[in-house]
Amino acid sequence: MSNSTVGRRRLIPRWPVRTNSLFHRIRVPGTKRSLLRFEGRYNPKTLQRELILKDKKPLFWMIGLFALAAIPIAVGQQLVFSIFASICFFAAINVLWTLIIGTAGLQSFASLATVGVGAYAATYLSITYGVPWPVMLVIGTLFGALMGFIISIPARKLDGLYYALLTIGISEFCRSYITQSKALGGQFNGALFGADRIVPEEAMQTQSGQTISYLISFLVLLISLAIFRLVSGGRIGILLRTAQASKEDESFAAAIGIDFQRARMFVFLIASAALGFVGAFYATNQGGASLSLFSLNQMLLLLAMIVIGGLGKAEGAVVGTVIVVFLNQWFTSWGPWRIVLVGVLMLASVLYTRNGLFGLRQQLIEIRERRKALSRATRTTRYGAFLPEQGPEISDKGIIVEREFERAIRDQLREWITPEIIEEHRVSPLGQHSDHLERILNYFRKQPISNKYVVYCESAFQAYRVVALSGIPGVPPRLVDDKTYSNLDEAYHAVFLRRINDLKSQH
Amino acid sequence: MIELIASGLVLASMYGLVAVGISLTWSSVGMLNLAQGFVFTAGGYVAFLFAQYMAKNFSIRDGVLLSLGVVLLGMIGSAIAGLVVGGLAFLPLHDRLNFPVRGLIATLAISIIGTQIFMLIFGPQSKPLPQIFGIKRFRIGEFSIAYGQVGTIVVATVVLLVVTLWMRRSRRGLQMRAMMMNPLGANMVGVSVRTTGMIALAISGALAGLASVLLGQIFFVSPTSGVQPLIVGLIISLAGGLGSMPGTVLAAVLLGFAEAVTARYTQQSFVPFVQFALVIAILTFRPRGLGGVLEDVRE
Repeated sequence: MSNSTVGRRRLIPRWPVRTNSLFHRIRVPGTKRSLLRFEGRYNPKTLQRELILKDKKPLFWMIGLFALAAIPIAVGQQLVFSIFASICFFAAINVLWTLIIGTAGLQSFASLATVGVGAYAATYLSITYGVPWPVMLVIGTLFGALMGFIISIPARKLDGLYYALLTIGISEFCRSYITQSKALGGQFNGALFGADRIVPEEAMQTQSGQTISYLISFLVLLISLAIFRLVSGGRIGILLRTAQASKEDESFAAAIGIDFQRARMFVFLIASAALGFVGAFYATNQGGASLSLFSLNQMLLLLAMIVIGGLGKAEGAVVGTVIVVFLNQWFTSWGPWRIVLVGVLMLASVLYTRNGLFGLRQQLIEIRERRKALSRATRTTRYGAFLPEQGPEISDKGIIVEREFERAIRDQLREWITPEIIEEHRVSPLGQHSDHLERILNYFRKQPISNKYVVYCESAFQAYRVVALSGIPGVPPRLVDDKTYSNLDEAYHAVFLRRINDLKSQH
Repeated sequence: MIELIASGLVLASMYGLVAVGISLTWSSVGMLNLAQGFVFTAGGYVAFLFAQYMAKNFSIRDGVLLSLGVVLLGMIGSAIAGLVVGGLAFLPLHDRLNFPVRGLIATLAISIIGTQIFMLIFGPQSKPLPQIFGIKRFRIGEFSIAYGQVGTIVVATVVLLVVTLWMRRSRRGLQMRAMMMNPLGANMVGVSVRTTGMIALAISGALAGLASVLLGQIFFVSPTSGVQPLIVGLIISLAGGLGSMPGTVLAAVLLGFAEAVTARYTQQSFVPFVQFALVIAILTFRPRGLGGVLEDVRE
């Protein structure tokens, strides 16, 4: 790293480049993407070639995900394993839900219900027909897609809050169905247990069994993140973002040839299928499904996670989940206070931030820019000079600089005007002068022509008068007083005195 | 038959009170108030505290004065809770970017906090409210109707009528209707968005408080007792068309009778299915609800 540092930019890491070796970009195999995006440039101060990491997000992702995977294995306690497993589980759901809310722009509150449908379907078929766990995962995915298809039917007609309410209704509907159903929820207060497990129940007591079970949960999170990346960062995500960038989504999108409804339904179906997969995975990991998958409170907690982290961002979904699940499961001794804290965090993030934790950076940058602009606009002095005209209405900063320059010159000239200088000019208006008088006269000469005092010859060698030019072609000069001067030198000096007078009164 | 009509009307009046409140808030403030469940519960608890206080200090356990006090204090408590919701979610957010979604999330957060705080103060057990209409029954021929049912229907109808008249006739009602039609235009001709919005929140809170006291006769008050009325109220105001009072009342009557008929001729567990099927049917044919024309005007 080189040591060139200017301002805030000193925090940007730089890598020096050897000029006689080529830089090889490392690409993800099979794609044109590279893992880390470097930009080569010349350092403006040292003029050396250097590399700058343009996007540090992948680094943070790698560090964060590694920590998520490594911490519970390093600690090795059962409580930590269970907390981190539920972090992975909820984060996977939240990432996929972000895909629905953010990318597809559908305010669906039935994602947890989709997970529940996947879990219950897989568990039921596993108990009834003895289906092994790989098939359970497939079944869960299929049922998730089916559920997504059913929920997506009203989305074509309803939008916004109407759809949100309807999906809340649908998940309540599912909950009451399972509570009533004898086959699904008849056994233990709505819960259904006895499905095939990936890690057998007896192995769950050992350290290695827990580790494997946790790593599988982590893998599910990675899969959902990959789906998010592929869908949101892919062609369909770009189409949807283009459509949503305008106010009237659908008409604008149709006008530029994007089938908005089809695209968002496609995203919705993919996300729903993935949610069903997550549900089936939950069933294979827990050995069954429970009614908490459909409860409104759990749904609200999930929403709190997304809102605290930042709506529409995968990193927001994951970090929000980490915060809320940790609060909820680690500080169990706090009782209801921890939920109150989650609610307060949610309220604070809505009231004070524009988009949760991960919108905060952009928001702070904007606040700083606004403060800067405001202070620039309201500043009335610069280098000690009063600048009433310097305001936001002058867009050309060159004009401001020029005015300041003129003012500084006038201030200097005013200091130089003394009785001696005036006497010197009276004695000889033309010819060689002292330096100060020469500069004053030069200043007068370069003034614009309008209202400039000149000598008017009434009759040669007899009568001269002082007039002021109009500055407009065709408009004659005007007389400034009724004095007449008998010779030219007196007239010159009278003009000089008038100009000095104006200079003194000018600010 | 009369029993069926009575129970249908009781359900309709409860649902109507909650749903009209939600609908009113949505149409005048532009915010879906998901903290209405919290507001509902707050009224119930205030009424419970009042009844407990009267029983302990003056050993008054029934009577007209106590009933009146319970109803009034329930309404006032809920109105204050409505103002708290407004102060936390509406006043700081209403002129900000993306207000509908942020308001919704803020009210959700308030509802989460409120439920837990009630849990901390009162514990998870249900608290009974005094029977404000007594426990006697009318006898009409071979049928009998409880006083409570008649009282609920009458009170709810009168209150809803008063609110409707107030909306039609008074200056504030005019302001509120102006705000429903065009918030910006109303603001330009001198209607204060903040004052009117807070009044709307207080009124919808008072309606929820009344529903809470009336429902407290059948189901006791508990920290989570607001969830069910909230969901049903949301669904009814959705089916009625958010912002339309007649539509909401019609939807409440429809869903109340659907519930009463289903519960009588089949079993209680089918009620949610029938309700949702009805709402989905309504929304399929009228996506803006029964009386809903408002959305087009608002956006």
